[in-house]
Amino acid sequence: MTSRKSSAWIVLATVMLGALPNIAGAQMSHQHASEAACEETVLRCATKVTPAFAPDGTLWLAWMAGGEISVASSKDQGKSFSAPVQVTRERLNLDWGPDARPKLAIDAKGGIALAFSTFRDQAFNGQVLTSRSTDGGRSFDLPKPITTNNESQRFEAIGFDPAGAVFAVWLDKRNRVPAQQRGQKYDGAGLFFATSKDGGATYSDAQLVADNTCECCRLALAFDGAGHPVVVFRNIFEGGVRDHAIVTFNDLATPGDVHRVSRDDWQIAACPHHGPSLTISSAGTYHVTWYTNGKARKGLFYARSRDGGKTFSDPLPVGQPNRSPSRPQIVAGPQGLAMAWKEFDGQKTSIHLMTSHDDGATWSKPTDIADTADSSDHPLLVSDSRQTYLSWMTKADGYHFQAIEGEP
Amino acid sequence: MKRYLLAALVLLATLPSALAAGEGAPKPFERGSWQKLLHAHAGHPTLVHFWGVTCGPCKVELPQLGRFMKDHPDIDVVTISADLVPNLPEATRSMLDQAGLASAENWIFGDGFAERLRFEIDPAWQGDIPRTMLIARDGTITTIEGSAEIADLNKWSEAQAATIR
Repeated sequence: MTSRKSSAWIVLATVMLGALPNIAGAQMSHQHASEAACEETVLRCATKVTPAFAPDGTLWLAWMAGGEISVASSKDQGKSFSAPVQVTRERLNLDWGPDARPKLAIDAKGGIALAFSTFRDQAFNGQVLTSRSTDGGRSFDLPKPITTNNESQRFEAIGFDPAGAVFAVWLDKRNRVPAQQRGQKYDGAGLFFATSKDGGATYSDAQLVADNTCECCRLALAFDGAGHPVVVFRNIFEGGVRDHAIVTFNDLATPGDVHRVSRDDWQIAACPHHGPSLTISSAGTYHVTWYTNGKARKGLFYARSRDGGKTFSDPLPVGQPNRSPSRPQIVAGPQGLAMAWKEFDGQKTSIHLMTSHDDGATWSKPTDIADTADSSDHPLLVSDSRQTYLSWMTKADGYHFQAIEGEP
Repeated sequence: MKRYLLAALVLLATLPSALAAGEGAPKPFERGSWQKLLHAHAGHPTLVHFWGVTCGPCKVELPQLGRFMKDHPDIDVVTISADLVPNLPEATRSMLDQAGLASAENWIFGDGFAERLRFEIDPAWQGDIPRTMLIARDGTITTIEGSAEIADLNKWSEAQAATIR
């Protein structure tokens, strides 16, 4: 045995020693610790799946699996899907926060705008990246930052306005640094927005809607009858109260006044990881659902506004309080309103549904429409021109896309 | 040659377990861990702190808890990282070290079905962090949502000390 050989063995042993704990760790996370069923980039391994219908009725999904963002489409309401196309070019440290997910929107010409967040450093500072497809989803531009600023950004939301511009809104911590340099405390993050006139290839400079909003909850975005963006977000009101607020834009570049959705009085210096949902019905009514653990009320709630978000109805409790109701979603579809949320009974997570056919004045009794006995994504609702569907990714049972039954 | 191979194999067999049991490595918090934890600390005043590496308020509070633990050796301090991510253990451990909590009893959520873990701890908890549970000698639990005021923790620990006199 030569010394060269022996050192080769030591190198090999060292490599194996280095690799082994990681293998053990990967196997463990594969089975229990991970929210994912598997580690590849296919839909079955996804932890977050976001659906969107194109104006032509094609269903598009964007999902997060194996550290990458992929997209596929379905012409038969989710029964079969096209071969997936990867938007990302490499495995990224994607934002895995409970309220983070890829977003996509499709315009009348079939252009696709897409956005998602990554953790850019070891301190978990976020970065919002955007991409687009101009060839019907066959390929996507290389994802690039939505803004040149390097402070933390997360929780983007995007949509096409009726004129075909992309509106993007996100949470951004850029104003924290100058505030701290002035010796001032800066809670939360700023709500920022930008627009794209070229289908999501380039975005305008970021502009501020409001400072000091809650930094760790998803945003809800919808467009009113005039095509103006409306955003619901968890704000930080005076005294550190993390209740919901709403802003309706006067046009794509001009945010209107911020109004309060509800006085829940949830004073908490914490990350609720639990954002709101918004939909606007054809009557112009705003419908909002949210979670709170405030002094005034605790649990899931629904309220509507018939004056463009200036005032809201008394909050209606949603779900069974002893079943940990969470992750509410609401959508105005062609057959009325539908609201879905999660409940947990100690063993399994179930998805509950209520519908309203009078613009939110009254609601049906909740029904249990799906369940799973392991981790799952939020239940999402999406509508085409005919009906509303539940989109729900589960670890144990894969991806569900089901029409909501029982509507007249 | 064979001797080297044998030595390498012995090392291979022993090292992963030695690493897994390394000083300060957070233990996986799984189904049933909560009841075990309560049982293990029964009769001892215990502070259980839930946190996560991406949570802004947690970054501020963690070093304060490190000092609290140093100042209150009679209180059992337990931390549970309630975030979920495959590559989290290193970041978790490093933040605990920096906060002076390496010698606390440290856990990390080790089951992707976080709803079930949270339900076992408190069915009303939706996952917001930080969150602190103060478990008195008699088992009474006081839950503090969000960042705890250190003055409140001091007051509670003084009350606990008084119960043995």
